[in-house]
Amino acid sequence: MNWLNDNVNLLTLIGAAVIIILTIGIVGKYIKQIKNDKATGELTGDTWDGVGEFSNPLPTGWALAFLGTIAWALWYALMGYPVGTFSQIGQYNQEVSDYTKRFESKWANPDHETLMGMGEGVFLVQCAPCHGVTGEGMNGKAADLTKRGTEALIVKTVLKGSKGQGYPLGEMPAGLLDKDGATAVAAYIVQGLAKDGKSKHPELVEKGKTLFATCAACHGADGKGMGGSAPSLANYGKENFIAAVLEHGKKGSIGIMPAFNDGRLTKVQKDAVGTYVESLSE
Amino acid sequence: MFHWLEKNPFFFAVGVFLVIAYAGIVTIVPDFMESARPLKGTKPYTALQIAGRQIYIANGCNTCHSQLIRPFKSETDRYGKYSLSGEYAYDRPFLWGSRRIGPDLHRVGNYRTTDWNENHMLDPEAVVPGSVMPKYGFMFKKSIDFKTAYAEAYTVKKVFNVPYDKPGMPKLGSYEQAKKAAFTQAGKIVADMRNQGVKDAYKKGDIKEIVAIIAYLNSLK
Amino acid sequence: MQSSSAINYDYTVAKYFTVATIVLGIVGMTVGVIIAFQLAFPELNNLFGEYGTFGRLRPIHTDGVAFGFTVSGVMATWYYVGQRVLKVSMAESKFLMFIGKLQFWLYVVLVASVVVSLLLGITTSKEYAEFEWPIDILVVIVWVLWGVSIFGLIGIRREKVLYISVWYYIATFLGVAMLYVFNNMEVPTYFVSGMGDWYHSVSMYAGSNDAMVQWWYGHNAVAFVFTVPIIAMIYYFLPKESGQPIFSYKLSLLSFWGLMFVYLWAGGHHLLYSTVPDWVQTMGSIFSIILILPSWGSAINMLLTMKGEWGQLRENPLIKFYVLASTFYMLSTLEGPIQAIKSVNALAHFTDWIPGHVHDGTLGWVGFMIIGAIFHMAPRMFKREIFSKKLIETQFWLQTTGIVMYFTSMWIAGITQGMMWRATDQYGNLSYSFIDTVEVLHPYWTLRAVGGLFYLIGVFMWAYNMYKTATSSKAIEKEPQYASPMA
Ligand code: HEC
Ligand code: HEC
Ligand code: HEC
Ligand code: HEM
Ligand code: HEM
Ligand SMILES: [Ca+2]
Ligand SMILES: [Ca+2]
Ligand SMILES: [Cu+2]
Repeated sequence: MNWLNDNVNLLTLIGAAVIIILTIGIVGKYIKQIKNDKATGELTGDTWDGVGEFSNPLPTGWALAFLGTIAWALWYALMGYPVGTFSQIGQYNQEVSDYTKRFESKWANPDHETLMGMGEGVFLVQCAPCHGVTGEGMNGKAADLTKRGTEALIVKTVLKGSKGQGYPLGEMPAGLLDKDGATAVAAYIVQGLAKDGKSKHPELVEKGKTLFATCAACHGADGKGMGGSAPSLANYGKENFIAAVLEHGKKGSIGIMPAFNDGRLTKVQKDAVGTYVESLSE
Repeated sequence: MFHWLEKNPFFFAVGVFLVIAYAGIVTIVPDFMESARPLKGTKPYTALQIAGRQIYIANGCNTCHSQLIRPFKSETDRYGKYSLSGEYAYDRPFLWGSRRIGPDLHRVGNYRTTDWNENHMLDPEAVVPGSVMPKYGFMFKKSIDFKTAYAEAYTVKKVFNVPYDKPGMPKLGSYEQAKKAAFTQAGKIVADMRNQGVKDAYKKGDIKEIVAIIAYLNSLK
Repeated sequence: MQSSSAINYDYTVAKYFTVATIVLGIVGMTVGVIIAFQLAFPELNNLFGEYGTFGRLRPIHTDGVAFGFTVSGVMATWYYVGQRVLKVSMAESKFLMFIGKLQFWLYVVLVASVVVSLLLGITTSKEYAEFEWPIDILVVIVWVLWGVSIFGLIGIRREKVLYISVWYYIATFLGVAMLYVFNNMEVPTYFVSGMGDWYHSVSMYAGSNDAMVQWWYGHNAVAFVFTVPIIAMIYYFLPKESGQPIFSYKLSLLSFWGLMFVYLWAGGHHLLYSTVPDWVQTMGSIFSIILILPSWGSAINMLLTMKGEWGQLRENPLIKFYVLASTFYMLSTLEGPIQAIKSVNALAHFTDWIPGHVHDGTLGWVGFMIIGAIFHMAPRMFKREIFSKKLIETQFWLQTTGIVMYFTSMWIAGITQGMMWRATDQYGNLSYSFIDTVEVLHPYWTLRAVGGLFYLIGVFMWAYNMYKTATSSKAIEKEPQYASPMA
């Protein structure tokens, strides 16, 4: 990124330079006078404890600069930027709308690579404070995202249950199937429901399909979650699966994941961070 | 005229006073009434949140944290919507701060949670490597001063007509009632926490500082 | 006994406050060095349990140096300068003597209660106005006593016309009195509810209103503690030590009234882009720019007073303190207005650049003036030569190095962090997480802490030099008219 493209940065750097240059320049001028000049003038006649004073006129440069700033201030407040016409919220809206226009024209149809890059950026700023920069969840303080979307995690979910995303069906109870059953269902979800997936246990897919009846009670026979009553398992391992977590947050057994629905992330950014997070478990 | 003033100290002092008092009257007075109105939906703090706010103040969290999101995209992206005047209508004192050694906290309740705050307050460096925030382990041991929190809520209700006990607003009630309500509110937070000492204390009817400060942080939205 | 005047000035109260200045300078700045190291090495937060964290200590530093070190310095110089330029001795009025001593001892009680209460976390959080109401009452009493002392002394003066320094002392008195009272309007909760801590209170103002009152105060607390009385000092000590008449009465006059009028408007620059009305902010910004000139007026007047006196500047370390103080005053009163430009403040606000600005003002201007003033007073109060000129020279250069390290590191840290907060990547995302912007500051924070430590060592040298001067340096027969004698 180019630091100097930002007016605020630019003005700040100029300002800092002006402070140094003007101070050194003008003090330098007076130091020269201390070195070479002589004190002159008429004394006013008053003295206090031996301290007298001259009745010298105002230094011209100073007086002109004083008048100059006053004139500038009057101009600024009455004509240049009349007080009452500036609105900082207006300025903000302008900034955001300009940005959005630029953004939309540039990233209207982001490809995978773009989403990954964008997602990583979002992740490091918004998610890393809890999930860690690597996403493994900082020793169990938050979900380990490097295990997301894996079959193992489905198994774990079935054995331990799941709660906290605020779906209408509430909690998913623990222990709906035993370990073998869960493994089979997981294989089915990955390779059957989510069409393009590849299971580690292709031989179990058929068995899983049968056992999925247990799950269909809530997730629907097609696994799509019965119109939002439970998560759609057909999206398992895809970026929009994460979009759901971002929408609702999750108060689970590890801790509480906040929702990201306060407008800080745009739709594209959510997709991007989803893509990135899914990539962590590959 | 000036030389005359310099010989007449009384008038000199009056002159100085008028010159300096002028600006205050012109700039402060006109906006006084207007900028203090609560937004729709802005609610006063519950007594437990006030206890937390008092702990926040006592420990000078405001020396490192601001609570003012300025209207720049770089801030609203990081912290959420820019702050509005009405949101502060019940903030006595205001806690905008003037430094950001740590991040702004005006909406921290939106993106940090009870368990995260618990871990973080105990040892910030363990959660955010490189953090320079102090550890606040003592808050897990020290109990809140609920009387002073209630006293503050009661005072603002009486003196400044803060709308406690109005429809849709937090209940305050008598000291006993408020204490009971605070206990219930604290219970929900304690349930999301891990620290056994805090849980045990709660069972004995004792609320630790950490619970109140988390209640306050969670309320910042 | 003196050639310059026949009056026997009584410096008892001035001496008391001189001791307070030195002691509180050491306390306040030691705490400053501690908190500076805490940012660089956070483990230092945990040395004294809850009492040693940055958040608890920072207000002890700020109040310690502002209301401890600086205000004691103001009092010490007032009780010295006041008598001399009004040509009247404290010894001439038992009443004023009593008031002065009473003011001092109540002030000591005040300082002690402030330190204890802040350590305990008893604070209202408003910057430079942290004290709870019982302490506020004590503040008002001490201040009123000072007022009695000022106007009492003026009442019995022999010098008809008030000297410039006296203008500034009067303004300090009035400004602080007005601002402090308004900003500290608070309601004690115990008296309304009958329960809880008796000293606890809530602010009379809420939210944005509270902020407006606070920064109308806060900005001018800076004005009337770190600027106005320090100008009072330089107008006396520079011409007195150098023997040169003030360059221009007219410049003094315009600078004074200009400063008084403009200063109070500028408080809005602490609230830029906040939720206070846009026009209040704009006023704050505009008046800050105008403020450069009345500020520079005083500094230029001082530099021009030294016209042709290069020899003194080279030979006399006290003159070095005064001239460098003027220079730092010019630096910080140009820096402040630039930071008050909205677009610059958008970046600078909340960053380390603000403490940078604060300390080129306070260390370079306030600190140097107070140190230099008290050095000048010492031989006259104690009737002894200053103990060591060489030590002053060393102190001067060490502290100057410290200040330069302090403010350059904070400029770089602040501007870097400000730019990082704003930075976006090619996708328009924020480039840096907050902690990234903290970690880059580590080297600058370390540098600042070391610079501060240099300055603090200088303060210890000053204290030692003063102690030796008061106790064991060579006695002098006759008070010098101008340049202070030093060994
Ligand atoms: C009683 C209803 C119910 C049944 C039966 C059920 N689920 Fe669930 N399931 C839910 C709910 C509700 C959630 C969302 C819980 C939450 O808030 O995280 C969920 C979540 C999940 C998740 C985690 C989604 C995520 O966001 O991490 C997986 C995987 C899952 N279910 C798989 C299954 C499988 C496999 C079965 C069958 C063995 C099954 N579910 C049976 C209700 C059910
Ligand atoms: C305040 C801390 C915090 C932040 C910030 C946070 N998370 Fe989480 N997240 C958690 C915790 C805690 C869990 C575990 C919840 C549980 O299952 O108990 C979690 C769980 C998750 C899950 C798994 C949910 C599930 O169904 O098991 C995903 C996906 C996730 N987070 C993604 C993100 C993304 C993406 C971001 C950033 C945009 C983010 N998180 C920011 C704390 C956080
Ligand atoms: C010495 C300065 C300092 C003090 C004092 C301090 N903090 Fe922090 N705080 C930080 C820094 C730096 C961070 C960012 C790094 C981190 O998250 O730990 C931070 C982060 C936080 C966060 C996380 C915010 C976010 O968006 O990630 C919270 C919440 C917080 N502090 C609360 C507090 C509270 C409550 C107190 C007082 C009891 C306090 N802090 C005192 C420096 C401080
Ligand atoms: C023309 C004169 C000055 C102007 C216009 C000015 C302006 C400013 C501005 C814009 C800020 C930053 C506000 C923010 O963004 O937080 C500030 C802060 C500050 N300035 Fe100045 N300044 C001036 C002179 C001085 C001097 C001479 C000193 C001290 C010797 C000083 C001490 C301070 C202090 C202590 C703060 C910090 C306030 C806080 O706690 O936030 N200023 N000033
Ligand atoms: C030994 C020298 C000193 C050191 C090391 C020091 C250090 C510090 C530190 C670390 C801070 C906190 C900055 C931050 O928020 O990041 C601070 C703040 C402050 N210091 Fe000092 N300080 C010193 C001397 C002084 C002196 C002599 C004065 C005044 C006469 C002073 C006045 C202030 C003020 C007003 C603030 C608050 C600034 C603000 O809120 O923006 N300091 N100091
Ligand atoms: Ca400050
Ligand atoms: Ca107070
Ligand atoms: Cu200011």
